[in-house]
Amino acid sequence: MSTARPKARHRRRTAVRAGVVVLAATALAACSSTGPATTDRTGIIIGRAMDVNSLDISRSLCDTCQIYNSAVYETVVRATPDGELEPLLAESWEANEDSTQFTFTLDPDAVFADGSPVEAKDVAWSWLRVQNLQGLPSYFMQGITGVEATDDRTVVVTSAAPNSAFLNITSASYMGVVNSDLAAENGATADADAASTDTAEQWFLENSAGSGQYVLDSYSEGSEIVLSANDSYWGEEPNFSSVTIKEVTDASAQLQQLQQGDIDLAMQISFDALDQIEGDSSLTTDVVPSYNFLYLALSPGVAGGEALQDVRVRDAIRMGIDYDSVIDATLAGNGERQSTGIPNGFEGSDDLPIPDFDPEGAKALLAEAGYPDGLTLDATYPTFSAYGVSSNTEMQSIQQSLAQIGVTLNLAPVDFSTWGEQIDSTGYPVTAIYFAPDHPDTVQYFQYFSLIDGSVWAGRARMPVNPEENSLVAAALAQSGDERTATYTELGQLMYDDAIILPIVNPKYILASSAELEGNNYDITRNLDLTRLTFAD
Amino acid sequence: MLRFTLRRLALIPLLLWGIVTIAFFLSRSVSSNPLVTIVGERNLGNPDVVAAATRRWGLDKSLPEQYWVYLSNLVHGDLGTSFRTKSPVLDDLGARLPATLELAFTALVIAVVLGTLGGVVAARNKGRAADGVLRVAALAGSSLPVFWVGLIFLFVFYATLGIAPSPGRLSARVIPPPDVTGFYTVDSLLAGDWPLFTDAFAHLLMPAFIMSLALLGTVIRLVRSQMLEEQGADYVRTARAKGMARGQVLNRHVLKNAITPVVTLIGVSVGLLIMGAVLIETIFSWNGIGTYAVESSRGLDFPAITGVCLVGGVLFLLGNLLTDIAYATIDPRVRLS
Repeated sequence: MSTARPKARHRRRTAVRAGVVVLAATALAACSSTGPATTDRTGIIIGRAMDVNSLDISRSLCDTCQIYNSAVYETVVRATPDGELEPLLAESWEANEDSTQFTFTLDPDAVFADGSPVEAKDVAWSWLRVQNLQGLPSYFMQGITGVEATDDRTVVVTSAAPNSAFLNITSASYMGVVNSDLAAENGATADADAASTDTAEQWFLENSAGSGQYVLDSYSEGSEIVLSANDSYWGEEPNFSSVTIKEVTDASAQLQQLQQGDIDLAMQISFDALDQIEGDSSLTTDVVPSYNFLYLALSPGVAGGEALQDVRVRDAIRMGIDYDSVIDATLAGNGERQSTGIPNGFEGSDDLPIPDFDPEGAKALLAEAGYPDGLTLDATYPTFSAYGVSSNTEMQSIQQSLAQIGVTLNLAPVDFSTWGEQIDSTGYPVTAIYFAPDHPDTVQYFQYFSLIDGSVWAGRARMPVNPEENSLVAAALAQSGDERTATYTELGQLMYDDAIILPIVNPKYILASSAELEGNNYDITRNLDLTRLTFAD
Repeated sequence: MLRFTLRRLALIPLLLWGIVTIAFFLSRSVSSNPLVTIVGERNLGNPDVVAAATRRWGLDKSLPEQYWVYLSNLVHGDLGTSFRTKSPVLDDLGARLPATLELAFTALVIAVVLGTLGGVVAARNKGRAADGVLRVAALAGSSLPVFWVGLIFLFVFYATLGIAPSPGRLSARVIPPPDVTGFYTVDSLLAGDWPLFTDAFAHLLMPAFIMSLALLGTVIRLVRSQMLEEQGADYVRTARAKGMARGQVLNRHVLKNAITPVVTLIGVSVGLLIMGAVLIETIFSWNGIGTYAVESSRGLDFPAITGVCLVGGVLFLLGNLLTDIAYATIDPRVRLS
C-alpha cells in the first residue's frame, strides 16, 4: 500500500472534523445571538392576531384596522374614554337644529405627513370616497346627501333625514381624513363610480396618506405592520419612534413572548393565563369591561324555525340559558350578562332588563306555547374564537342548559365561508356570532339588530318590520341629550321584547403588557389608543 | 440525458395546465361563500356592498368566463389578486416562498447529513446499543407529530429555559437584511452582517430540525438497511479478501451504493416538505407559503388557492426531474429514456 492513502484519509478526517467544528461554532454563535442591528428601544412591539382586511382606510373594517387607521390618519373629532367628543382635525363643529346639517371648521395648523395642509376638500373627498367605494364602512355615510368644502377650512355635510348620530360616527377611525391629492395621484378617486374605477388599494398596502402621529413604514401580510413616527406631525410628539404590530395568532404564544420580552404588549391573552401574569413582576395587567358581545340569534321566519314564531318560545329559550355557567365555561367567569343588542355601557343600555336563568319559568312558558314536552332546533354556527370565547365551548354549554328545559339543540359547527353561504339565503333557525362596535353611537345596534327597515337581522330572521321601532329610531336621530337617551332605552326594551338577539356574554378584556409600559387601554374607536401609551421613565 | 430533460421540461406546461384546471374548478365546487372573506359577516346583508364586491372580484361572471379570464391572465404571468391580502398573488408567493424554501432546504440538509451519519453508525454497530438508540430515535422521528414536538420544544427551550430564540425569522427589534434572495441567512451574509446571520440561523435551527424529523428517521432506517444489504454483496467480500480495511469498504463502496435510494427519497421529499410546512410555520410564526395556503383555503381565496397549487406543482415536477437526473448521474447503470 502506498503511503499516500493514510495521508489522504487523514486529510479527509481533518476536513470532516473541521467541518463539524465550524458547524458547532456557528450553532453556538447563533444560539448566543449577540447583537444584530436592532431598532430603537423607544419603539413598541404589540402582539396580536391580526385581522387586517385592507390598509385602505375607506375599505377597511376590522379591529386591527382601527389601531392602524387611528395611528396613521386623523378624524375631525375624537371620542374620549368618557364618550365625549373633542377636537382633532376640526377645531369646532356644529349641527343645525334638526340635525340635518353639520359644519366642521378645520384647525389651520393641521398638516399631512408630506407637509401639505389638511384642507376641507380633503375631508369632503375622504368621506365621499367612503360612500362611493361601497366598501365595508360605506354604511357610515348612509343617508348623507352632500359633503361640500365651502372654503379651505369649512366642510358642510347634509343629511336627507335628521341624523344626530353623525357626529359620533365621524369619530370612527374609518372616517379619517386622507391626503386627497396624494391618493388621487395613485389611483384613488371619490367619484360616484369609485366602486369600479378606484385602483388605489394596493398602493395603500405600501403607503399611507394621513396626518396622524405615525406613517406606514412596511406591511408584511401575516407577519407585521411597522409604523414609524411622523416627523412632520403637527400636534403633540408621538410617544414612540416606531410601532410594530406583530402577528402572534395564539394566546399562549402571546403570553410566552410577553414573558420573554419579545413583545411589549399582548392584546389577546386568555383568562386562563391571568394568574400567571399577575404573579410575574415584569408584567402588568388589568381586567376592564369591553363593548364586545357574543349572541344567539333566533330566526322565526326560516325553515325549521316555525316554533320560534311564538315569542313565548323565544322568551323561554332566553330564560333557559344558564348564563353564569356559560360565562364560567368560556371565560372563566370574566364576562357580564347583557340585556339585548346594545352592549353594557352604551347610551340607552343602563335601565334595560338583564336576563336571568329561570328553568322553571322557561318550562312553564314552553307549556303555555304548546310545547310541554320541549322541542328540537338546529343550531348552525361558524367556528371561531373571538374575544377569548370559543364558539364551540359556548354552544356546547348553551346546549347543556337548554336540555334542562326540554329544548334539544342540534349543533352544527361550520366554517365561516360555509355559514356565510346560507345566512342570507335560506338562513338558520338558531345561530351564534359576535359583534364589536365601529363607532361610539348606539344607533349602529338598531341599524343592525332591531326590526327596522334595512336592519340586517330583521332580514335574516325573516321578521316583519316593527313600525314603532322604525319611528323611534327616526325620532332618536332628531333628538339629543337625555331625550335621545330615553328613546334609545325605549328602543332597547323593544329589542329585548322581540327576543331575536339573545346576548350570551359581554366579555371583559385583559390589558397585559410589560411593566415598563404605562397607559395600556381599550378604546372604543381606536381599539388601542397609542397616544395614551408610553414607556415609564 | 439532454433529450430526456428537454422532453420532460416540455411536458411541464401541460401538467401545470392540468393542475391549474383541477384546482380552479375544485376550489369553486365547494358550497361556501368567498364573499364572507371579502365583505365580512357584517356586510353580507348589505346588498350594495355585496354587489360592488361581486363585480369588483369578477364573481358576477359565469364559471367558464372566470376560467377563461384566469387562463388569459396566467399566460401573461398574472396569477390574479388575492381576495384576502389584496395583493397580486405572484407578489404574495414571491414574498413567502423564500421563507419556506430556506426552512425546507435547511431541514433537508439536516435530514440527509444526520440521517446518513446515523444510518452508517447504526449499520456499523448492528445489534449494539448505538444501533438500538438510533433505531428508536428514527422511529420516534418518523412517528411523533411535528406540531406536538414543536410546541414541546418551544415550551421547554424558549418559554422555560430561555435558551432558544423566539418564534419568527429574527429576534424582536432586529432589522431584516436587504432583500436579495429572501433567505435571511444568505442575505445577511451577502450584507456582511455576521451578528444578523447568527440571529437568523438561530431562529432557523429549531423549526428546521423539527421539520426534518420525519425525513431524518426515514433516512436513518433507509441507509442502515441498504448498508446492511450491501455488506453481504460479493464485491464487499472481494474487497475485504483483497485486504481492504472494513471502514474503507463501507465508506468508499457500500455507502456509495446505499445512498442511491436516498436520492430518490430526497426528490420526493422536497415537495412534501415545502407543502407540508404549514404546521411548523404556524407554530414558529414563520411567514411562509404553508400558512398562506391554509389562510387562503379557509377564506376561499380562489386566486391564492390556485396560485399555491401552481407553485406546489412546479416544485413537485422539478423535484422529480432533478431526482431522475441525479439518479442517473450517481448510478451509471440507470439509463434515462
